[in-house]
Amino acid sequence: MSLLFKGRAQGAESVKIGMFQLIIMFFTDHLRQAVNSLGELWRSPFASLMTIGVLGFSITLPSTLYVLVKNTEQISQQWEQASEISLFLREGVTDASAQQLLTRLRLWPEIAEVAFISADEGLKEFQALSGLGDALNYLETNPLPAVVLVVPTSKHASPTSAGILLNKLRKEREVEIGKLDIEWLERLYALIGIAKDLVTLLAVLLFFAVVLIIGNTIRLNILSKRDEIVVMKLVGATDAFIQRPFLYTGFWYGLLGGIMAWITVFIILLWIDYSMQDFMEKYQVNFNLTSMDLSTLIFMLLVSVSLGITGSLLSVQRHVKDIEPR
Amino acid sequence: MIKFEQVSKTYPGGQQALRKVDFHVEKGEMAFLTGHSGAGKSTLLKLISIMERPTVGRVLINGHNLSSIKRREIAYIRRDIGMIFQSHQLLMDKTVFDNVSLPLVIEGHTRKNIAKRVDAALEMVGLRDKAKSLPITLSGGEQQRVGIARAVVNRPPLLLADEPTGNLDPKLSMEIIRLFEDFNQAGVSVFIATHDLGLIARMKYRTLTLKNGQMITDGLDEQPNEGLLV
Repeated sequence: MSLLFKGRAQGAESVKIGMFQLIIMFFTDHLRQAVNSLGELWRSPFASLMTIGVLGFSITLPSTLYVLVKNTEQISQQWEQASEISLFLREGVTDASAQQLLTRLRLWPEIAEVAFISADEGLKEFQALSGLGDALNYLETNPLPAVVLVVPTSKHASPTSAGILLNKLRKEREVEIGKLDIEWLERLYALIGIAKDLVTLLAVLLFFAVVLIIGNTIRLNILSKRDEIVVMKLVGATDAFIQRPFLYTGFWYGLLGGIMAWITVFIILLWIDYSMQDFMEKYQVNFNLTSMDLSTLIFMLLVSVSLGITGSLLSVQRHVKDIEPR
Repeated sequence: MIKFEQVSKTYPGGQQALRKVDFHVEKGEMAFLTGHSGAGKSTLLKLISIMERPTVGRVLINGHNLSSIKRREIAYIRRDIGMIFQSHQLLMDKTVFDNVSLPLVIEGHTRKNIAKRVDAALEMVGLRDKAKSLPITLSGGEQQRVGIARAVVNRPPLLLADEPTGNLDPKLSMEIIRLFEDFNQAGVSVFIATHDLGLIARMKYRTLTLKNGQMITDGLDEQPNEGLLV
């Protein structure tokens, strides 16, 4: 509606069109502007590629690290399955009562396997492995306790739940000491935690840089179209109308940068996987690097697009307003 | 249609462009605004299109006080005013069609409607066959007519022209003025700023004369040079 002239219809209202057609028009208009903005990028391929490259590489770095951290986590999860609890039984517990304990433990839902090493067996094993040999025969009594080895089910194998299980086992009256060798796992976890924090920090810093770079690129775009913007304002364009193509430019920078990051991450991971195969073969470990899954990819593209739009939005809100016909 | 009430404009820095200007251009009227360069013509037009705001006084269009128009509403005000500039203000890398259709695209008309109206506007200014040309390939007079087509394409009730015949020879200038007369006869109020006194002398239209920011004559100008050469 016209503000000054009552009854003077402005814009689409002046022609009778239905709601449906209005919606269709809205989308076709946006699509047209989106394609126009893409065409604009195409017309200056070198400058566009540089901006897209900055965005792509900035996203590549945290994404690659993220995938590597994820893989490390997976490996450590495999190791963790092997965690074992050793229960040293009290002196004076007979083999018969130890067997009773074993039968009881086999019924626990958290426990997958139990094995019993009697004091004598323990001594024999020690003798064989330690190299002390006959020297041990001079001992008057066997100083070694009987040991029960408990393997928790995979569900209860993580450091925390295995810890809980250990505490429960310690309360059994035959048990003197319970030991769970997971300290190194806990350390590994802590290290992965730190690595994750570093990846996040790096990502946040790079994302800030990307927003600023996109913002500056769009600012230069706006300034180079100064005359056009002045003309559009003179014939009654709102700021929102003028801003839209620049926002679409930001969107395309984000999407294309994201796709570029995806391809780069893919190549880097192939390369790392290849060099790791060699390494793994020497250690006779079979391990395949898992690449980015679909949800991670979509998340990465979303982040990339929103960075592009955010940078563009910051710039556009400031600079389109500043350009006024004089 | 356009009413100025005791309007003064002082630019930051102390330069006083307009002093207590008072006039009223009626609805459907065609009027000229003259004066030497620097007399305040451009400032006066800028107050109407809200490129500037008055320091003192009120500017009204169709009875609406422009000081109550907020910044974000200015775009909508400009859709009601067809503006024509000495420098044409055309987009040189866009075709004539794209230039003329700009106000309609901004208002969100349908493609079909845009094509129809642009065609009609170009027909009026006699440039129908140049729709696909770039403005840069056109002569000065033709470029000015593209500007006029753009100004009238959304049928505004008010036309403002700032030195529309600035760089044109007398014959072309007259053609442009005849175009404005056609629009005026169709009911559009027309307000033209020009220092081309010879042009005004050949017609009997109301002429407002500015000198040093003050309105010195307002009325049918029988001897247009009198007021200016004092």
